Amino acid sequence: MHKKLIGRRDFMKSSLAGFGGLFFLPPLDMKQEVRVVETKGKEKKLVYRTLGKTGLKLPVINMGVMLTDNPNIIRTALNSGILLLDTAHGYMQGRNEETIGGVIKGRPRDSYYIATKINLPQNRTTGLYREGATIEEFLKRLDVSLKRLGIDYVDILYQHGVSRKESVMYEPILKAFEQAKKDGKIRFSGVSTHSNEPEVIDAVTDSKVHDVILTSYTFKQKHYQEVRKAIARASQTGIGIVGMKAVRGISQQPPTVKNIPASFKWILQDPNVHTVIAGFTAFEHIETDLSIMKDLSLTEPEKLELQKEASLPGLYCQGCRQCLGQCLEKLPIPDLMRAYMYTYDYRSLAHARDLIVSLNLPSRVCEECSSCPVKCSIGFNVLKKIRDVARLKDVPSEFIA
Amino acid sequence: MKTIYLGVGMFIFLMGTALEAKDFAFPEITGWKESGEIQTFIPKNLYEYINGAADLYFSYDFQELKVAEYQNEKKGSVTVDVYRHKTPLHAFGIYSQERLPEATFLDIGIQGYYEQGFLNFLTGPYYVKISTVNTGPEDREVVVAFAKKVAQNLGEKGSFPSILSSFPAEGKKGNSEMFISKNFLGYAFFHSGFTADYELQGKKFKLFVIERVNRDECKAIIEKYLQTIKSPRKDTTEGRYTLSDPHHGEVDLHWKGVYIWGIININDVDLRSKYLKLFEEGLKKKVLSD
Repeated sequence: MHKKLIGRRDFMKSSLAGFGGLFFLPPLDMKQEVRVVETKGKEKKLVYRTLGKTGLKLPVINMGVMLTDNPNIIRTALNSGILLLDTAHGYMQGRNEETIGGVIKGRPRDSYYIATKINLPQNRTTGLYREGATIEEFLKRLDVSLKRLGIDYVDILYQHGVSRKESVMYEPILKAFEQAKKDGKIRFSGVSTHSNEPEVIDAVTDSKVHDVILTSYTFKQKHYQEVRKAIARASQTGIGIVGMKAVRGISQQPPTVKNIPASFKWILQDPNVHTVIAGFTAFEHIETDLSIMKDLSLTEPEKLELQKEASLPGLYCQGCRQCLGQCLEKLPIPDLMRAYMYTYDYRSLAHARDLIVSLNLPSRVCEECSSCPVKCSIGFNVLKKIRDVARLKDVPSEFIA
Repeated sequence: MKTIYLGVGMFIFLMGTALEAKDFAFPEITGWKESGEIQTFIPKNLYEYINGAADLYFSYDFQELKVAEYQNEKKGSVTVDVYRHKTPLHAFGIYSQERLPEATFLDIGIQGYYEQGFLNFLTGPYYVKISTVNTGPEDREVVVAFAKKVAQNLGEKGSFPSILSSFPAEGKKGNSEMFISKNFLGYAFFHSGFTADYELQGKKFKLFVIERVNRDECKAIIEKYLQTIKSPRKDTTEGRYTLSDPHHGEVDLHWKGVYIWGIININDVDLRSKYLKLFEEGLKKKVLSD
């Protein structure tokens, strides 16, 4: 019997057709302000959007500081017109916040904005908080961050790395945010997410608690339409949206994006995204990234390049989670697809087996059903892949490592 | 036996992985039990564990992370993260980025340090981070016991990069040496380099050194730098350069052979000269001892 194989040309065609007209948005009212600023004798065009109900007017590109402890890079970024510095309690074991503290010392407090994030112990498999995730610990970490930064308050405090709606509503953290606001230690609260984003964003919107969401959002996400939809809903309620992973593409090492300016422009074509944070480690990055504000519209060659790049990956599960609930055995399909990816893409059997074993699968996997009701959004033969990779649970670990 | 159903392809995968795998096992600790399975993270999913901090680890050629969790009867928990990097130099790099100079340093692996609730240490190509919850007043005792056992299982500890010995000792802030793997001092053409912080007579400054494979590479770096800061020279020769950098201010550097060393963040010309000389002596000693 001949297998029906899909050729590269067909794959490209079907992927792009799937995007419909939505991969690129039509020109919309951006509600943005353009200002010409002068830095070191040079005129520069900067585009500003308002971060939702916070009212903060920010340039559409700001700085994620996580990659550098070079104070002169941060200083140059601020002197170039960047207003928001994004860091986290855990970056560089705290040295990242200390470095920022050194740079902002002596600058007027209203000349910059600081966003930091606090994480608390989470169960890695479920994404739920575990023992040690207390209001006291959260507030203690906030105090440490403020001390490192040398300031009395942060403009935005995020709950770091949330992947479940239950975690958005985790009471000790909600109480901690409330207390921190009451004490004047934070101006605005938010949630950061780069996994299961639509669920998290929707939960934040429904909670009516937070002011800002920091989310992965890139043309490389196969579920970008769900992310976009969730962002739109959040934005309509006044929540400020900050994009991240703009040029890296989710879960991939740099450099994975060929056209960096086009990647930024792709996110910023969405009027519901108010700013994007970019990680600079070289002075030239600042110039290059800020220069996209000369013209935020995507050129035809840029569009073509993005379309090509967007359709090349996608051979593996994108984590859209649409399959959840379809399986009669309630198997954790996205996790099993990840294990498949670890096996055949990363060639890491140990990693795949670790994951499979942690899932506590039934003894017979996908052997009881005569047909599989699961319809994968990107057309995977889920049954075949699960049967294949589930065999790893029976392989003794000593045979692998 | 179920494994006989494994196909030939899978068998080849298994053998390949077995050859690549590192012989490392998490230790058994009296009074503590491993809870759950050991988790493995690789570059493509490290962000699932450490969020945005993963980006920094990638720039130090992160290879793999193994995580084990332990619990005791008093509901205390210890998490052991073993990060493996491509080389010991890269492991030192990421360790140095997160090292806290004011912490309590310990003789574990090449070096370790403790602060309430965690202990980090460096050994060979591994950067190990151990954190605790609910360990009470015995926190330090517990975490040190774990660290020692883990270090034993990770094999040869190795040593700090030898070039660190060439940094002048006078005024150097303890444990401030770093290895920056990319875009050193904010310039892509500088590639990688080492820095250390200094404080002398109330003046704070930074020394740095770049080591390249050959003289031509150093020459190309100097030429590109002069071009970038708009201070081109007719001939680029070995020797001292006192330059005005738009981002770093006054930079004094010296190029000789495969080394470029320099000093930033200080205006005192005499002090700059003194340190460039001291650094040169240190590098000479290093070359002789290598």
